[in-house]
Amino acid sequence: MRQGLIRDLTLGLLGLALLLVLPAVFPHPSLRDFLIYVIAYGLLAMSLNLLVGLTGLVSFGHAAYFATGAYIFGLLMQSGSVSIPLAMLAALAGTALLALVIGAICVRLKEIYFSFITLAFQMFIHSIILTWVDLTGGDQGLRGGIPRPPFLGIDLGQPGTLYIFCAVVFVLCLLLMRQVWQSPFGYTLRMIRDNPTRASFLGVNVVRMKLGVFVLAGTMASMAGIIMALFVSGAFPEFGFWTTSGEAIFMIMLGGTQVFLGPVIGAFLLQLLNHYVTIYTHHHGLVLGILILAIVLGLRRGVADYVADWISERRRAAAPLGREEGAETAPPTPPAARKMVG
Amino acid sequence: MNLDVLAGCMTTAACAVTQVSTGLIVGMLLFLVASGLSLIFGVLGVVNFAHGVFYMLGAYFAFVTYEQTGSFLLALLAGASGAGLAGIVFERFFMSRVYGQDLLMQLLVCYAAILICDDLVKIIFGADYKLMGMPESFATAPVELAGGFIPGYYIFMLAMALGVGAALWLGINRTRLGKIIRALAINPQMVGALGINTRLLYAGVFGLGCLLAGLAGALAAPVRTLTPGMGLSVLIESFIVTVIGGMGSIPGALIAAILIGLTRAFGAIGFPLFVDGLMFALMGLVLILRPSGLLGAKVS
Amino acid sequence: MFKSAKQVGRRALLAGAATGAAVLASPRIAGAQAKVIRVGMPTILSGRVAILGTSSRYAVQYAFARINEAGGLGGRTLQLVERDSKGRPDEAAKVTRDLINNDGCEIIIDGEASSGAFAVHEVVRELPVLCIHTNSETSSLTADPKLRIATAFRCARQGIHDAVAGGVYASAISKQRGLKRWMTCSPDYAYGRDNTAEFLEFARMYDPSIEVVDQVWPRLFAPDYTENITKALQVRPQAMYSALWGGDLVSFIEQSNLYRLFANIALFSSSLGDPPVLTAIKQLPPGLHTAYRYNRNYPEKPSNTAFADGFTGVAKHEPTNWAWQNYVACQFIAEALKRTGGRTEGAALAAELKGMAIQSPLAVEEVLTLRDSDHTLIGYPTAWGRTVPKAPFVEDFATTPWSRILEMETQWKRQKGYA
Repeated sequence: MRQGLIRDLTLGLLGLALLLVLPAVFPHPSLRDFLIYVIAYGLLAMSLNLLVGLTGLVSFGHAAYFATGAYIFGLLMQSGSVSIPLAMLAALAGTALLALVIGAICVRLKEIYFSFITLAFQMFIHSIILTWVDLTGGDQGLRGGIPRPPFLGIDLGQPGTLYIFCAVVFVLCLLLMRQVWQSPFGYTLRMIRDNPTRASFLGVNVVRMKLGVFVLAGTMASMAGIIMALFVSGAFPEFGFWTTSGEAIFMIMLGGTQVFLGPVIGAFLLQLLNHYVTIYTHHHGLVLGILILAIVLGLRRGVADYVADWISERRRAAAPLGREEGAETAPPTPPAARKMVG
Repeated sequence: MNLDVLAGCMTTAACAVTQVSTGLIVGMLLFLVASGLSLIFGVLGVVNFAHGVFYMLGAYFAFVTYEQTGSFLLALLAGASGAGLAGIVFERFFMSRVYGQDLLMQLLVCYAAILICDDLVKIIFGADYKLMGMPESFATAPVELAGGFIPGYYIFMLAMALGVGAALWLGINRTRLGKIIRALAINPQMVGALGINTRLLYAGVFGLGCLLAGLAGALAAPVRTLTPGMGLSVLIESFIVTVIGGMGSIPGALIAAILIGLTRAFGAIGFPLFVDGLMFALMGLVLILRPSGLLGAKVS
Repeated sequence: MFKSAKQVGRRALLAGAATGAAVLASPRIAGAQAKVIRVGMPTILSGRVAILGTSSRYAVQYAFARINEAGGLGGRTLQLVERDSKGRPDEAAKVTRDLINNDGCEIIIDGEASSGAFAVHEVVRELPVLCIHTNSETSSLTADPKLRIATAFRCARQGIHDAVAGGVYASAISKQRGLKRWMTCSPDYAYGRDNTAEFLEFARMYDPSIEVVDQVWPRLFAPDYTENITKALQVRPQAMYSALWGGDLVSFIEQSNLYRLFANIALFSSSLGDPPVLTAIKQLPPGLHTAYRYNRNYPEKPSNTAFADGFTGVAKHEPTNWAWQNYVACQFIAEALKRTGGRTEGAALAAELKGMAIQSPLAVEEVLTLRDSDHTLIGYPTAWGRTVPKAPFVEDFATTPWSRILEMETQWKRQKGYA
């Protein structure tokens, strides 16, 4: 574990260095914009994958926390009374509390019913944002920009500084999620995903474990929302609409659920695709749809999962005597097929 | 909140008749869409998130047929059967490939279908608003009943929806084919072992579900605007109906659809600002207290 | 199992990021003196309101084609680069930044509605190119001094102008016909609610005997309005105001027809006058009151008919409200570029546009003006008319003089603390 931590930290630093070097090598503002977008949506997708890939909870309502983070942060900053780090902490804590309340109800339900109730809560929060016009500005969102007063000598009003800040926060969040992913807690969640009955026989408090990861995922999603609010200098009800959740799910699937960084790869691919498809055609729905079909029906799993499987298969072929790394080499399989409800 | 007015309305024949009929009108179209959704889930065990697409296709097919032939009956037939055929194609070539895989794969295939069909409709028919127009024979004054008013077209619509609902129920519960379909829902391997072509049946059931959505779209085409993406709001409402009624239960869908319809109709009188919230609250409550819905089979 | 997989993931990510960076970082056009002036347009080209974006795009394409055919501006020609934001504000912000930073767009025509326009507005605060909002009618976008930006203008109708004109028109009719009991039916979101409240405020100011007996708020994009229609049957108002628009309005009118609702209730609509709505409705009841959105016969001048014909030639349907707003924005941009001699710096163009007045097919009095004080359009048609069964479906336009609108607007601004 200890060695793994050092390796993760090294890789994290390398990743951060890359994120920081890229815009320096290609000093073009639109590259920075693009990467911030990947960071925000990548973080959203990563946080959702804690539920989907790790725990087997398919949430259709994850954007609710993305929006909550963005709105709490935006409102606090517009009030002008708090600094950026304080507003961020408050937004994270507020969202965690909301996720705790909603999660306490949701995690008791199974499979498709869990999906539906998360969807219902998301619609509920979206309609609150829309109707509470005095506070949220309704469909027009938080108007007039979100002020970014300097703190500790850091001025997020500078696009370059904002980018560095987002990159650092992103890598920190990834490291944190990585620790969860590798911790005993993470392996308990995998057991719950694969066989909840067994987990509960072994004395695992399934509901409490699920609730824990639900709150963590919600909090991480709100961090993504804060980054997005900082970037667009506003918060909008569309952040909490089901399409945003849908897109996050799509990113996960595009990248893969079982490789830790799969969702980020998915977010990157989707943004790249989106970027170019919207430039060259106004029928991006058609192009995107066909592509989804190709991936789902062709690869039958996310791109990163596919590559990982392919590589581990090649390794196995190269070492015909098998068992090169013990139990850890088992190819990642998608969560057990859901049993059909007749 | 205006409960006095609500009480007043319920005790006045004219108001009660109009609002009950309103509830049925809103509810029955919803029932057609939701029953298709429920049927597909009940037999195939998949959630057809693309169900709204078939509602849209039904409406556009009916629109085109009516423009070309001027016959409302043909338009209804074309809308329903066109959507049904599209459903069979979708099931055979796409959906059937992700059976037994996880929910997300099914969701993505449906998401792709929505994106593609919405764009195709925009390319073929344009982005502007379309309306089929009321057939001559229905362009009459609303029927007066105990002081309340019901438009002739809506009476026809209600009769159609009820008729189809009854036929569906009888077909599933009283015929040999219905018996096979029910068996298919419970034990597909056994049905297959008896020499019955289950793949054909799956496609047929999926097509039937889509046909129902298409029929709803065709029935709505004279009074609701046709635009690309029109299936979305109907999809969400029919999901609520399906969840409340119980996934897989057609009588459940009927009860829930009428319940939602009446909630809307009388809610508009008594608590207009709270109607949408109430629908979500109702769905949440059902999910918490009885996840399988009012008439759904118990979740295993 | 996750160890090996993770490395793969990271490697793939790195490789991908590098390719992405390489392609992204190559701007297509740089330099202020390129021959072509690229004009960027974020707008909505997909989903239920796609017609907003498509008709805006056609209008700009038509206008640019005419300008370029006439020899361009100081030897430079105009080129439109449009992008679909899918109606998402964050996407609108990103697309706008891309258009400026990556595609070399020197001017932005913001074809976003509602929230998208505010998102684009914030981008322009950071990247000060000239930006003309062409589709947002929300008054505060330009009226609120806190939101003002030196290089952002609005070339579109503004809610408060329509509210005054509507109030004047509706009160005249209500007094004449004794319409006292009113009901409203508007979509449940900020625009629908603000628009309805402002209309009622002015209608009641001019005719205090107007009483609002009920208000219903169907959801935006609701497919069915039966419950609201039968509610109106119970309430029995004499008149109804509705801020429903687009496809929603089409459904509402056609469903109301089944109940013969407008046989006894006078409808005042903010948006019925838009040609695509009028043409989509199969049985348009005569005598409904509507605000002007666009009409080929009003303002009654040859240049307007020419615009209608020209636009229809490109788009294959009559101009929309969005179409004329974008067309007029192009007229302003062309004139400003003429005066700067083809220079496109935001500040230079803004200096020319402030208070600029131009001849236009859409001017109801003498000219259309981009007002100096708050960068918004005045002098455009705010008339109300009545529906008739045959094209172009609305006639008898009654105008409210702009002097009166401006007077009330000043009062309203003072009341809101904007002035």
